[in-house]
Amino acid sequence: MADYSGAVIVGAVETPYTRHPEEGVTTETLLADAFVRALESTGIERRDVDGLGVASFTHTPDRAIDLAWKLGLRPRWLMDDGNGGASGIQLLQHAVRAIQAGDASTTVLLSGDHFDRESFRRLVDEYNRTTAQYLAGIPTGGPNVLFAMLTAQQMSKHGLEREDYGRLVVAQRAWAGLNPLAVYRDQLTLEEYLESPVVAEPLHRLDCVPVVSGADALVLSGAGEGVRIRALRARHNHDGQEGDGLSTGIAELSGPLWQDAGAGPEDVHLVSVYDDYPAMALAQLADLGFAPDGDLPGFLRRRIEEEHLPVNTSGGQLSAGQAGAAGGMHGLVEAVTQLLGRAGERQVENARLAVVTGYGMVLYRYGACANAVVLESP
Amino acid sequence: MSLQVFVCAVCDRAVFPRRFLCPDCGGEEWREEPVEKGVLEAAAEREVRVGAVRTPLGPLVVARIESDAEPGAEVTLDQDGDVPVAR
Repeated sequence: MADYSGAVIVGAVETPYTRHPEEGVTTETLLADAFVRALESTGIERRDVDGLGVASFTHTPDRAIDLAWKLGLRPRWLMDDGNGGASGIQLLQHAVRAIQAGDASTTVLLSGDHFDRESFRRLVDEYNRTTAQYLAGIPTGGPNVLFAMLTAQQMSKHGLEREDYGRLVVAQRAWAGLNPLAVYRDQLTLEEYLESPVVAEPLHRLDCVPVVSGADALVLSGAGEGVRIRALRARHNHDGQEGDGLSTGIAELSGPLWQDAGAGPEDVHLVSVYDDYPAMALAQLADLGFAPDGDLPGFLRRRIEEEHLPVNTSGGQLSAGQAGAAGGMHGLVEAVTQLLGRAGERQVENARLAVVTGYGMVLYRYGACANAVVLESP
Repeated sequence: MSLQVFVCAVCDRAVFPRRFLCPDCGGEEWREEPVEKGVLEAAAEREVRVGAVRTPLGPLVVARIESDAEPGAEVTLDQDGDVPVAR
């Protein structure tokens, strides 16, 4: 069913992300903070919240029900989601269906993470059983080398140079300069991008998403005015980890997504793509149809650098930071904020239609989860 | 000196790592087949050199590279416990 009417997004908030949070900050305090901010921003009463969804890597051993208890909620609909970069849209997909079906009327979706040294090591080395068994012993030391290989392959396939990726990173940093919640706001030049320290060639530090602590929240309601969901599609494990990794599940879902939305890439006013690495942000933009002629260097030069196509207008995760699973909701929160006209200095004029992607869960060589949503202003 | 990849006992489809069900035919049984050589398709270096190696049976495996082989080169395959090693 392509019909996502009957539920709207009435609020979207983000706690201030931090590189080094104060003593006492934990994943659950961040999630609770996001919940309180979500109620404050919408004026919704706690007693009216009857749905709760939570996405996190580090909330374990607690679950959504622990938060429901500690926040004093008595939900009729409750869901945990562990699908990282796809978790925000995944929660949204299920939450809208629950509201349509009458299982909940007012739902808060939370996502967030706080990593200490040990929890981050565990996330990297024991991301899944396959990583623990086949990759940690190499040692790959996390996903950077995998995405270094994918980036090198994308460069060779499409004739991309490092400065082409730099155009996206520099553009996102310019947006971040207008977002008081972004962790990295100092303006960047292409030269500074090119000279940043090597992580694993061809990836340098400014290509790798900075890990932060923080949380995001969305509030959905079956009644009232809010951001509408025009279309939502998911395609997970699209190629069994047996492709080149340069095309995501979004390539398979984008045709039906645009058809459901009655719109195309040329009709949207802003884009949030999941940007763990510039190469993957670019792959998703291509999969969505933003570079129909297949000329990716030309797309970055013309649409991003010269025409300032609004992509990742919060600064994206590359500048705002990646708070674990909150990275899967960050782009949604930004798009909703823009569509509600609340983006302050970085407000995109007349923003009425946005497309947001989710991508993630590196099973072996690259992300296996993909989803996307087209959102429309009230 | 070889790497064991997993071949579906029903349809001969090869995978690495092993799955529960064959992606093609749904078969549940696998036999291990040794592969001794592959072609390095990509490489990157962090703590150690890491590469993606195409095995002749089809699967692309992520391996520790213990040589200075560059993408395009033929490499020999081995394993260190479960971990693929290419030289």
